[in-house]
Amino acid sequence: MRRVIFLMVLGAGWLAAGPAVPVAGDCAALAQPASKVKRKPAAVRPAAQPSPLPPERVEADVSTRTIAITSGYSGAEILVFGTIENSRQPSAESGFYDVAVIVEGAPQQLMVRKKGRVGGLWVNTSTFNFNAVPSYYAVASTRPLEEFAETALLDENGIGLEAVRMAAAADSAVRVSSEDLIAYKDAVRRIKRSAGLFKRDDYGVIFTGRSLFRATIGLPATVPVGPLTARVYLFHDGNLLSRYQARVVLEREGIERWLYAFAFERPFLYGFVAVVLALATGLLASAVLRRRAA
Amino acid sequence: MNVYLPIAEMSESVFVLLGMGAAVGFISGLFGVGGGFLITPLLIFTGVPAPVAVGTSTAQLVASSVSGAVAQYNRNNVDIKLGSVLLGGGFIGTLIGVEIVRILRQAGQFDVFISLCYVLFLGVIGTLMLIESAQTVWQSKSGVSPSSRRPGEHSWVHGLPFKMRFNRSKLYISAIPPFLIGAFVGFLAAIMGVGGGFVMVPALIYLLRVPTNVVVGTSLFQTVFVAAAATILHAGTISSVDLVLAFILMIGGVVGAQFGATAGSQLKGEQLRLLLAGIVLLVCLRLGWDLVVTPGELYSLAPVAGSP
Repeated sequence: MRRVIFLMVLGAGWLAAGPAVPVAGDCAALAQPASKVKRKPAAVRPAAQPSPLPPERVEADVSTRTIAITSGYSGAEILVFGTIENSRQPSAESGFYDVAVIVEGAPQQLMVRKKGRVGGLWVNTSTFNFNAVPSYYAVASTRPLEEFAETALLDENGIGLEAVRMAAAADSAVRVSSEDLIAYKDAVRRIKRSAGLFKRDDYGVIFTGRSLFRATIGLPATVPVGPLTARVYLFHDGNLLSRYQARVVLEREGIERWLYAFAFERPFLYGFVAVVLALATGLLASAVLRRRAA
Repeated sequence: MNVYLPIAEMSESVFVLLGMGAAVGFISGLFGVGGGFLITPLLIFTGVPAPVAVGTSTAQLVASSVSGAVAQYNRNNVDIKLGSVLLGGGFIGTLIGVEIVRILRQAGQFDVFISLCYVLFLGVIGTLMLIESAQTVWQSKSGVSPSSRRPGEHSWVHGLPFKMRFNRSKLYISAIPPFLIGAFVGFLAAIMGVGGGFVMVPALIYLLRVPTNVVVGTSLFQTVFVAAAATILHAGTISSVDLVLAFILMIGGVVGAQFGATAGSQLKGEQLRLLLAGIVLLVCLRLGWDLVVTPGELYSLAPVAGSP
């Protein structure tokens, strides 16, 4: 039944339901000429209206566009906030809409190693390569994902830890059975979860008004430096109504950035500087302490 | 107060790191050892990737050995010629060691290899020290004087070619044994991030019969250069030296060493060695435990080199 309404809502552009609230953007432009035909009274409650309604759209942004990693960096928090255009929910508490917020790091190559027992010792016996696994993946939602959407829909949109995209490298994928592949993927999820790099927060998205919502996503210090993507999905009654995407960049700043670039771009010179620094520290410290002791 | 370590890519409390440096510095001051054999495992326990732990502790080793080396040099306790031969071998050993680290890291076996090396070395050294110091303690209690060395004795070492005269050590021996000892110690420095004093000192005393007063100075002299070479090579080949981490450890280390040296003068030599043997064996057991006991997590993740 809801699916029908959803389709009607999509069609509302030219079926032209007179909007009770001003409509922004393209919808308004489409709705304008037709709205002359049928005009509805202003203060109707949208949910009670049987006739087509303007489509909901979600818009969102993040509190910080760039996160600077400096010497005192010990993780950060990103506030993802957004609004639902043409919201039909009567209050913040009504639970009419469900929102999933995902913050995802750049895909990285990843090697998974498995230990086995060799001569009584535990050593790495097999490896598996992934071409692309997000360095970080956090999903927050208004309630547990499984409660408001079908697994297939979640998987299709990459929502939830089970739906994280992990592309196996071709050479590794042909070597292992599908059970092993699942075991490797589970291992990635398990280890990343325990490291705080994959996480889900079932009640992390909070509506603060009829259309306003927010979610706080914590980034641990171990999140690899690079771009992050924030994705927002709006659901109602099992259907995906709208989505939105924003970007965040995690960057080394100041001395950390300089040191890192130095270490990787001029490695031998970096090593030389390390030695000089060590020599100076050792000599200086012993000179200072000896004088004080004498 | 946390500090972000740019190469290890992790955040750790400054006080924990300073404390670690100070504790190891204290022990090295107390026993007159480099302490590298403790820094590397401690860093690995903290969660620093094994290659970064090794690379960084070589840098720390430069700082902790240079002041000792200068002090010994001022007291004319360094045999530069012998040290240079040791150093020649040391550089070769370091080159081989760094290359092995690179290969093992690619093969994904570095963590296991380093644990194994540590278990083996610490086990052997710890046991030998334990036996030796326990005997001395027992002998001094029962009133028997420990047997002294016989200086005139010759061993197979003295029959080798390429003889050289080492004036400061009052020795006329082949250059091959010191070169090989140097190479072995350089190799250890590169793969384990240790100074190798615990191998060098007994080898110089018992194999080459270098006078005891020259041994420590010469060993330190060689350590400074080998550790410096290992640092540059580690940084140059796999960028595994974390300067922020190394600097914090150095600061903690030099301060701790002063207190250690003061405390050391209050204790008897054999008691110190017994204590050190205990510490060495504890670290060995801790590392060995992880190798033998079924791990809670069979899988591990490793970033692929060259990926962003």
